[in-house]
Amino acid sequence: MLSRFRNTIEYLAGERDVRPPFLNGYIDLLLRCLVWGFAMLLIYTFSGQSSKFIYIDF
Amino acid sequence: MASIQTTVLVGTPIRAGDGFESLLRVNSLIFNTFAYYLVFLLPAATLYRLVPASLRVWVISVFGSAFFLYFSYTMAGTWGALCLLIFLWESIISRLYGPRSGWCIFGILQSVTLLGIFKYWNFFTGLALFGRTNLIRWQGAFLPLGISFFTFEFYHYAWDRRQNKTEAGTLGEYLAFILFFPTMVAGPIKRYQDFLPKLRQKPTAWNLDWERGITRILTGLVKKFAVADLLTAWTDHLNVHDILIADRRVLILWGFAYGIKIYADFSGYSDIAIGSARLFGIRVPENFDWPYGRRNIQRFWQSWHISLTRWLIDYVYIPLGGSRVSTPRIYLNIIVVMLVSGLWHGAGINFVVWGLWHGLLLAGHRIWRGFMGNPSSNPVAIFSSRLLTFVLVNAGWPFFCMNMHTATLFYRRLIFG
Repeated sequence: MLSRFRNTIEYLAGERDVRPPFLNGYIDLLLRCLVWGFAMLLIYTFSGQSSKFIYIDF
Repeated sequence: MASIQTTVLVGTPIRAGDGFESLLRVNSLIFNTFAYYLVFLLPAATLYRLVPASLRVWVISVFGSAFFLYFSYTMAGTWGALCLLIFLWESIISRLYGPRSGWCIFGILQSVTLLGIFKYWNFFTGLALFGRTNLIRWQGAFLPLGISFFTFEFYHYAWDRRQNKTEAGTLGEYLAFILFFPTMVAGPIKRYQDFLPKLRQKPTAWNLDWERGITRILTGLVKKFAVADLLTAWTDHLNVHDILIADRRVLILWGFAYGIKIYADFSGYSDIAIGSARLFGIRVPENFDWPYGRRNIQRFWQSWHISLTRWLIDYVYIPLGGSRVSTPRIYLNIIVVMLVSGLWHGAGINFVVWGLWHGLLLAGHRIWRGFMGNPSSNPVAIFSSRLLTFVLVNAGWPFFCMNMHTATLFYRRLIFG
């Protein structure tokens, strides 16, 4: 159960190439579109307070 | 972009309504600027796929050089930009490396010296002259962009060439390796023998690479903007003044907020780097694997900043004897590795203490495992060990994010009120 959740999150976040088996064609496409849309909304909303990445100074 | 005025750490304010221009201006942020995507990443990744195979390494080298010049100049001026010569020098010297070659020793020493001068000169001379005026202090000291990371890649190449663990490659291939800009500034730390086959392979799955790569970049930007930067509202309070007047319970909250922030910040950065590399059709090592859900400190370090942990194991721990020495030496080796890790993160006593904390945790875990044997499969024990690991890791962050004086004050207030 936990590994299925983890695989799905990693797939939707772009980390994993292999689509989880329960995501068929249409649901997969819809979910990926939603992820992109939601991500862009969050980026647009919060980007004004941008600060330097911590590890750039290392 | 956002409707409020905010100030970035580098000191350049971003005002309402001028988001695009501001992001171009605040270019020391690198991965969260339009310049990175529009001037460097998209043109380079597109051109890389369009040019003949023989020119691909030069696309990376030219764009990598321009990237270094542009961002170094904006962060450290002319001297910063001139540090591009370090890459060119290293690429020439690297042609002399070979199995059992003395030039490899020279290359290793050169990498350590470069890092030592730029990053640790004032720290170590200050320690050596404790209590006296440091007459040899480097007043105009600056850190070349990404020096902690590119020197580790130089070191790795020289070491592995000496051990005959990697082929030499051509000058262009080595330049592409060290000037590959998605990973140049803050990793993931690559290995030449892993990178070379990907460089030589023709990138084919354009659609898949770009869809996965852009998704990964968006994930990284969300982590940075919507989690890490949002938590700055709490972590900004980790200073002497606010610690002195804060309630003890709030101190705990601020401490954990930093733990989440640094994870979101650095894993977000790594996501963007890995996603950017994917646009070229090149896969670079992963850096994080759900570290805060790990059962013990050893597993935490196997899933936190993975490329650094592997580097430290291969080039510090194993040369020290690794686990093939006496038991006390093993513990000593573990602590030495974590002290090196601490110092690598920054030239300060607080980083040494942070490294020592993790060294002691790792050594303590090894002793515990020796007594207790295999970990329990009881769900309560599993949950408790995950929670304990999370708390212990977070207990170390105050020494990472504050200087020694402030971190000590933080703990004094937390424990004694």
